[in-house]
Amino acid sequence: MNKKTLLATCCVALMGMTGVAHADLAVGIAGPMTGQYASNGDQIRKGAEQAVADINAKGGVLGQKLKLEVGDDACDPKQAVSVANTMVNKKIVFMHGHWCSSSTIPASDVYNESQILMATVSTNPKVTDRGLKNIFRIMGSDDQQGKVGGDYIADHMQGKKVAVLDDKSAYGKGLADEIAKELAVKSITPVLRESITAGEKDYTGIISKLKTASVDVLAYGGYHTEVALLLRQAEQADLKLTVISGDTMTNSELVTAAGPAANNVMFTFAPDPRKNADSAAVVKEFRDAGVEPEGYVLYAYAAMQLFADAANKAGSVKYTDLRKAMASNTFNTVVGPLSFDDKGNLKSPGFVMYKWQDGKYDSVQ
Amino acid sequence: MAQALQQLINGLTLGSVYGLIAIGYTMVYGIIGMINFAHGDVYMVSAFIAVTTFTLLAALGVSSVPLALLVVLVVAVLFTSAYGWTVERTAYRPLRNSTRLAPLISAIGMSIFLQNMVQVTQGARVKPVPPMLSDGITLFTSGSYSVRISSAQILIIVLTVVLMAGFTWLITRTAFGRQQRACEQDRLVTAFLGYNVDRIISLTFMIGAALAAVAGVMVTMYYGVVDFYIGFVAGIKAFTAAVLGGVGSLPGAMLGGLIIGLLESFWASYLSPEYKDIGTFVILIMVLMFRPSGLLGRPEVEKV
Amino acid sequence: MTAIVHAHHTPTLSERLKDASAAAFIALILGIPMIGMTTVDQGGFLAVMTRWPQLALFVGLTFAGRILFSLALETIKRRSQGRKSGKSAASAAEAANAALKRGTKPESVIGWLAVGIAVALPIFFSEDRYIIDIATSVLIYIMLGWGLNVVVGLAGLLDLGYVAFYAVGAYTYALLSTQFGWGFWEALPVAGGLAALFGVLLGWPTLRLRGDYLAIVTLGFGEIIRLLLVNWTELSGGPNGITSIPRPSVFGYAFLPPDTEGSIADLLGIEFSPMHRLLFLYYLILLLALLTNLFVTAMRRLPLGRAWEAVREDEIACKAMGINVTTVKLSAFAIGAMLGGFAGVFFAARQGFISPESFTFSESAIILAIVVLGGMGSQLGVVLAALVLVMLPELGRDFAEYRMLLFGFAMIVIMVWRPGGILANRAPTLIHVPTGDKA
Repeated sequence: MNKKTLLATCCVALMGMTGVAHADLAVGIAGPMTGQYASNGDQIRKGAEQAVADINAKGGVLGQKLKLEVGDDACDPKQAVSVANTMVNKKIVFMHGHWCSSSTIPASDVYNESQILMATVSTNPKVTDRGLKNIFRIMGSDDQQGKVGGDYIADHMQGKKVAVLDDKSAYGKGLADEIAKELAVKSITPVLRESITAGEKDYTGIISKLKTASVDVLAYGGYHTEVALLLRQAEQADLKLTVISGDTMTNSELVTAAGPAANNVMFTFAPDPRKNADSAAVVKEFRDAGVEPEGYVLYAYAAMQLFADAANKAGSVKYTDLRKAMASNTFNTVVGPLSFDDKGNLKSPGFVMYKWQDGKYDSVQ
Repeated sequence: MAQALQQLINGLTLGSVYGLIAIGYTMVYGIIGMINFAHGDVYMVSAFIAVTTFTLLAALGVSSVPLALLVVLVVAVLFTSAYGWTVERTAYRPLRNSTRLAPLISAIGMSIFLQNMVQVTQGARVKPVPPMLSDGITLFTSGSYSVRISSAQILIIVLTVVLMAGFTWLITRTAFGRQQRACEQDRLVTAFLGYNVDRIISLTFMIGAALAAVAGVMVTMYYGVVDFYIGFVAGIKAFTAAVLGGVGSLPGAMLGGLIIGLLESFWASYLSPEYKDIGTFVILIMVLMFRPSGLLGRPEVEKV
Repeated sequence: MTAIVHAHHTPTLSERLKDASAAAFIALILGIPMIGMTTVDQGGFLAVMTRWPQLALFVGLTFAGRILFSLALETIKRRSQGRKSGKSAASAAEAANAALKRGTKPESVIGWLAVGIAVALPIFFSEDRYIIDIATSVLIYIMLGWGLNVVVGLAGLLDLGYVAFYAVGAYTYALLSTQFGWGFWEALPVAGGLAALFGVLLGWPTLRLRGDYLAIVTLGFGEIIRLLLVNWTELSGGPNGITSIPRPSVFGYAFLPPDTEGSIADLLGIEFSPMHRLLFLYYLILLLALLTNLFVTAMRRLPLGRAWEAVREDEIACKAMGINVTTVKLSAFAIGAMLGGFAGVFFAARQGFISPESFTFSESAIILAIVVLGGMGSQLGVVLAALVLVMLPELGRDFAEYRMLLFGFAMIVIMVWRPGGILANRAPTLIHVPTGDKA
């Protein structure tokens, strides 16, 4: 992993060196490049790198080549703020990130102050609810995601006992709250509503609680590592759980850690962009390069397309022009057409239920 | 009632792990009077060695779980003892006759070093191993609740009991044990009697590391997920256990470990799972305030 | 360290090679599971990846390093022996006096020089946001270092949970400003006072504890505060922290974009630039740090300050002399905590965002390392250590992951090499010189 980071750093440095003469446009991505959620950061980087290469191959944006700056926040809000400051110093004109909602929220204040446009995949409603003008979300939000999750439980798991659990992160608690809200609408009362602390290893206490309440369905807001631990410890306690969670479960490390128990995980995620007809060429390009464009890869690609398109339409990379172009147009990207409402939310978001099965996930009806 | 029994089993499992690590703290404190701050990180290193060995065995096609566990245990104990030895040799021995604070600071340095060494060489991501021994025995069923003990839990508890018995024999009945206890009483006199004190201290660190390695393998197998941070948390709890039982007392370390494990289990399932660690630390402070020598410890006399 | 055992015997080449081979062998054993092998996720399962070339390099380096080290040790020892025999046995008082003179004079010159550089820095780098940011960070750590120095360096109480007071200060300001609209200057004394209260709260139950027990309890206290902040979501926002903390203002005028109410740029009729705020923050922390320094220096001259050092040297003797050890220790805890609280307020105001992640044990360890590496008790040592520890990772920014590794390594090496720190200044502020003149 070190060698990879080193290599990537060298690549970025090289790209920087070769490009200085042409006065490149710096664009940034930020996410967890190291730490627990590094594989998601990796997806973002792969997608963005490919997109930048493709855009530059076609002559760049407004005659200028793009230069990609990579920031690593390890999903730690504190590091996210310092990454944001570094990015401002590097004079980026566009940021795709961050990934964790708890990183995006504090970092967006910094970008807003320096008037840098952002496109993010963070799903917490608070990301776009704070009146910031510089942020656009290219994925649905947790209230939409939670509604789909809650509806699925209500429609397909009637009569089952449901518990709602979260890890207290901005993302996890937000998602769990939305699921609980939707369950209440469908007049289902969860038998338990609890929080756990992420990063621990022993969850046997909460498993015992779930078992006492004979819970069948666990609606969980949080990240994949804790789900894997919960499932393993449930299995040891002979408790059969079906987990309903959100977009963070796309990570294949879930399968490594949970083993066959991962087959009990269902989650909501945007419709698989790999199945779009428009994305076929790009998907092939990724696969030829040995990268499976799963999870956030195509979203990162789309974010860069979005920026290039908006800049071309605005005829400038000045913040005010870019923002206006972004807010008033529809953009065709590899994840489908994107257009935004006043808050910067996607106008037509969609979430579908997926299920892990033997190391792969696929949508279910 | 059924839930309480279940948490008793879970707590005993957790407590056994803490106890095994706590022995390393207590032995080192007994013999050279310092907190080996890096002990928790030595345990963490052993867990990573276990993950690598498990993965290697799986790649080599070893499918028998008992055989794999045996091999992993031996490998982890050997390599981790080497780490224990090196820690003492490089960071503590040069400071043995220095002020009381100097080895503590270098121990903290060693702890930071080990943690980051693992982070740099093995990566910061969690390392999972596939589930094993997750089958078990249902003890009894009350209503819809079945009290269950998994094979992994049985293994952890049985292994801890066996190790404790063997270890007690080692300390009370063998020549090494007598030398070790002599060292605890008076290092200088032990040296005058012709025993190699350096060797005894080195062996003490290696034994402590070996027991931590057993705990590391057990945790890897039981939870299936390790990361570079587990050493800090487990270390601080095991140290609390050692202090609770009375630093320097071997049965005390085990007792303290069990108490902390049970406390955590019951706290998590009956009170709030979020505040269980605060509970542990509050108990540590209370014990040190009111009974600084712990439950089974000898009171320390301040020398003027 | 075989060389220490055979102090008067110069090892032969074959002995050196043997010793280095042994070290290399141990490096090989330790390196196999960590450097030689690692596991990587292959999308659903782990696979072992080997790195034998790196392992070979590591073993080779250990071998060469061991030989060089033993040679260097030999040279140093020969030199110091030569020096020792050449020197006549100077009286203890003379030596102490000389040391004191040597220690104070250049130190004060360097100190003034450092202040001058710090004041002038923004004039040369007024447009370089990066430099100003780093300089501000350095100053925060200097201030924290000076605060902790009171507890560890002067009073000799090992505190591993200092970051708790930093957190108390930061959260107090964050909550007062976001919930009740308090300004920076109103919140500063309150936060400092609250932190001092926490200092006493920690100090009280731990009065009887010594050395390593105290260290563990303070560590536990730091963790309790952090866990409370993580879990008490209603108060602290939990792991997500508190966002949109207002920045400090000047007499009610804030550094806001033009045409906003209360914008200082409009008031002064100058063009708005975000740099103005950064420069203001820089001078603010410089001021706070200098006040801290003056305060601590003044304290050292007072009876209370001298009592801290006396308790550090011999607690039992102090008790026998009738010094109230309880007051002495508690005051050290309270003052150290208060200074940490001030630094916390500034940190929150500068970041505009705080979360429990900023207040982990490793932060405590860094602050402690600044104090220890600088030489416990030395004010200038803290500045040097803070400069090194903040700049080091910045110099090799892409290798930031090695930062803490080197950090831990440096802690061990410096402790083994100089158990007193780089600029060990354990000499008391006041010493008695037989000739009668006081220093």
